[in-house]
Order: sequence, then C-alpha cells, then structure tokens
Amino acid sequence: MDELTIAMPKGRIFEEAYELLVKAGYDLPKELDDSRKLIVEAPNEKFRFILAKPMDVPVYVEHGVADVGIAGKDVMLEHERSVHELLDLGISRCYIATAGLPNTAMNEMTPRIATKYPKVASHFYRSKGEQVEIIELNGSIELAPMIGLADRIVDIVSTGKTLKENGLVEYEQIVGITSRLIANPVSYRLKQERISELVEKLRKQVTL
Amino acid sequence: MTIEMFEKPLGMRDDFPAVAKKKAELKEKGISLMEQTGYELLQTPTLEYYETIGKISAIPDSALFKLLDSQGETLVLRPDMTSPIARVAASKLLKEKMPVRLGYYSNVFRAQKREGGRPAEFEQMGVELIGDDSLYADAEVILLASSILKKLGIESGRMVIGHARLLQLVLKDFGLDAHQIDKVRSELVSKNSVGFERLADTLPIKEADLDSFKALTTSTRLEDWQQWINPVNEEQKNLYNEMQQLEKIINRSGLGEAVIFDLSFSSHMTYYTGLVFEVYGSGSGFPLGNGGRYDGLMQQFGLQIGATGFGLRVDRLLEVMEKEQLQESHTLILFGKENEQQAYDKALELRSENERVTLQYAPAVHAIDEFCALFTTVIRMEGA
Repeated sequence: MDELTIAMPKGRIFEEAYELLVKAGYDLPKELDDSRKLIVEAPNEKFRFILAKPMDVPVYVEHGVADVGIAGKDVMLEHERSVHELLDLGISRCYIATAGLPNTAMNEMTPRIATKYPKVASHFYRSKGEQVEIIELNGSIELAPMIGLADRIVDIVSTGKTLKENGLVEYEQIVGITSRLIANPVSYRLKQERISELVEKLRKQVTL
Repeated sequence: MTIEMFEKPLGMRDDFPAVAKKKAELKEKGISLMEQTGYELLQTPTLEYYETIGKISAIPDSALFKLLDSQGETLVLRPDMTSPIARVAASKLLKEKMPVRLGYYSNVFRAQKREGGRPAEFEQMGVELIGDDSLYADAEVILLASSILKKLGIESGRMVIGHARLLQLVLKDFGLDAHQIDKVRSELVSKNSVGFERLADTLPIKEADLDSFKALTTSTRLEDWQQWINPVNEEQKNLYNEMQQLEKIINRSGLGEAVIFDLSFSSHMTYYTGLVFEVYGSGSGFPLGNGGRYDGLMQQFGLQIGATGFGLRVDRLLEVMEKEQLQESHTLILFGKENEQQAYDKALELRSENERVTLQYAPAVHAIDEFCALFTTVIRMEGA
C-alpha cells in the first residue's frame, strides 16, 4: 500500500476534518494536533499528515509534496491553484460577504474595499459593474471601516459575531464556503486506488 | 564598475554544468530513439507571428512573451512546438511526403505570473505524425512516448488516455447543447468533481440518466466506457471499436498495467480532436508530458488531414529520473612553469586513452585542496 501524504490546515478546520476521518473509519492517533510537530505519522493507515497554514495547503498539494489536502473553498477561489477538487466535505461552513458601518453609502469617487481576498472582492464588484479600489490587509479586517480606511470590507462570516461586536453590518453575501478534499493531479493518477477509497469513505460521512 | 545583478527575469533559469550534462545525455537518448522509429528532426524559429502561432497554440494570451518587430508586427517567443510544426507540415514541400514523421527537441517559452517553481523557458522533446488518421498512428506515438521513458530509466510512469471526440458525442447524447458541453468540459479539464456534480444537477438531463452522467468521472478501464456508448450511433461505435484495438496493442506491448482509460480526461489544449493522453511519473508533482490527435489544428492551416503527436517536458523528466551517484573519473594535472611541457604531453597521452583530463597551472589556483577534491585523480607536476 502506498503511503499517502495529507496536508491538513491547523486550527479550526483541523478538528472537524480529523473527526470526519475518524468517523469514516480511519484509525488515527488520538492527539494529532496537540504537539508542535509539523509532520505527524499515522502508521496504522500509512498516512502522513503535514500540518500547514490553511492558505498554504493548496500550495503543498499543487507541487505534489502532499498527495491530497483539505482546504477551504475561500482559499481555492482566491489562489486558483491547479489541483483537483474531489469532494465537498461540508465542514467549516461559512460564507464570504461584504460588510460596513450601518446605513452608509459607498464613496462616490473612489469606493475603497479592504479585504484578505483581493481577487474574490475585485471579481464580485466587477460583476456588479462597480469600480472600486481594493486594499489588501492580512487580518483584523473589521478595523478598516471603523477607522475610515475603507467603505466596505469583504471577509469570511461564520456566525456574524465579530461583525456585530465591532458595530458592522453585513450588506451582501458573495459565495458560500465549505472545506474541500483536494488532490495533486499526478498523485490522483499514481495513487488512484487509495485516493478513490478515501473519497468514497468520506463521501458516506458528509452531510451537505 | 562591476555589475551586481544576479537576478534573472521571473521563471528563467541557469543550467549549471551538472544539469547541462544530464540534459545532453537525455537529449541524445531521446533523439536516437525518435530517429530509430523513423522520425526526422527539425528546428523552427524562436520568434513567430502572434497572429498565427500565438493564436493557434492554445496557450493563454497572458502566458505569451510578446514583442514588436521593426514593421510593428506583434511577435511571440514560441510557446509550443506542435503549432509551428503544423505550420511547416502545411507548406508545399512536406505536403507531398505525407504521412510525414517529424521530431523535435526545443526550448519553448511561457510567461509565469506567480512565484518560483515553474520555469518560463523549458525544453520539450516530442514527435508529430502528420497525414495519418488511423489508430495505428495514435498507437505508434503512445508506444514511442512510453519507450522514451523506459530508455531514460523511468519505471514508475503511468499514462491516462481519454478521447475528446467520443466524450463530446457522449455528452451530446445526454441532451446537452454546445454551450452546456463547454461548461462541462471546463469542469472536467480542472477535474473539479464538486463543480461537475453541482453542474450536473442544473443541466437538463433525464432523471434516469443522472447517475450514469455523474459516473463519467470515474472510469479507469476501457470496459467502463461501454455504459455510455450509444449502440445505434455509428460514429460512437466505430470510435469505441478503434479504442478496443488500441487497447489490444497497448496490452500486447506490456503497458496494460500502466494505462488508465478515463473518458472524462480532457486537456486544456483545446485543439485536440481525438485521442488525448497525459504521462505521469512519481517524483514530480506535475505531468511529464501529454499528447493526442489534433486534426482540428491542421484544418486551421487549411488541411483536411489527421495528425497526432506528443511532447515531454525535459525539466520534469530530470526530476523523476534515477539520480545517478556514479562519479565519472576525471583527472587533474597541476603544472608549474618548469614542467609545462611534460604535463601537456601527459595530458595528451591520458586523453588518447579516453580519460577526461583537466590541465591547470598550479599558481593560478587559490584554494588548492578544495580544487583537487573536485577530481577523482590528481597528478601534481608543479614541483621542480
């Protein structure tokens, strides 16, 4: 049996993905995420997990250093890597939306949009026929409208709590997001048997 | 003033001597096999017109290196080899020699937008068999591609085979129009199974056929294709029979294990009109090469003839080839002013025995021990 290298995002998505793999019948070590290790083996299943930043999972998979990976659709939309998207896992459900201070209109001359997702944001406003200027930030996007950097933000919303606590309201929903099982195109062919088995086992556990 | 610019344009690489040497060996092995199979090598220009080759090549516009000539015409650095060869083959000279077998080993250029890891200039080697629309031509190029891999010592290779025309006919039979087929194709090219299944639910496909349609992405053997073949459609039946014959040839050649038949396999190269295939090897995360039948491309040059071929990426072949640790023997002769004559004679004598000999004036070397360590044998003649 070939060893399968799986790139997993650290943090929030990890726990849900781990649970899904266990439910699918895979025999994994109890505490995978507990250590500070970046590579963890699951010898009973011949799995090797690479624990990575969510944004980096598709990079590892595209270059083939990981055969498969679990990545948020938001990352896939933003970075358009050439990987195969095999299965919607239905976990870490959220959506990308625009938000801003309540009852405000966008600046007529140069509406400014702060976001971690410049490509998604620019595509959304272009499809609406609106000309905007995109400002790329790396975190705490909610700050931008509060201190006058931008009229709107484009960001991930899961419960809406963060927006509310910072006095922002949601304006438009752009696209729904879930985590996906992705595969490297070469691994998909060379390790087809193992990967298809993984897809079928996970498919039975997915609730959409 | 010294120039301190080590930077190169995005995606451009230097080949250091060790890599250059490996490439030369690979080139020799590949070319000799192509020639043995009856292919003649040709070289086409680095610069081509954007209006012809640039547009026909099926490489996205943003990946083309463009420049202007003195007449104001837009030129491109050739982004592939198939379209220039089709252009040459369409010329009068070769039209009379059909079917014609042409091979190449050339560098091609594709601009990169993102970070490293992807070269913007790379060598490709491959063949084109033009003027033969039989399945035997397809079989010939598939077997040649596979024997090149074998000759290079790549045992882990696998190949996936699809059929662009047959796929199109099958999709049509599900009741889809051209626009819908395009949408399906684009999900299949990126192998986005999630997108494909979502799209399937929105298409006007009969309830009873939906499961069969969704199963399109799952075939791995030729028998699997049978379920989609419409027995009253002559063209589908003939194409499927041809594929069966091809499978026989592949099995006879001992490649059966290494070949996957996936009807949904589609290439981003839109000019393929028949059989399409892609080659993989463990050790590279990217395909080693691809090929197929591209009769449609020949039509763009005004010729109603069949053509088929493949191209292999040299940079990726090097990644998956066995790393040879064998150090070749290389002798160093160090000489001083007094023994220059003897050292020269000694070098000639050794070289005549086929030994690789480097002759070096000793005082010109700064770090003598480190320099000597680069050679398997050192003869020091610099002493008085």
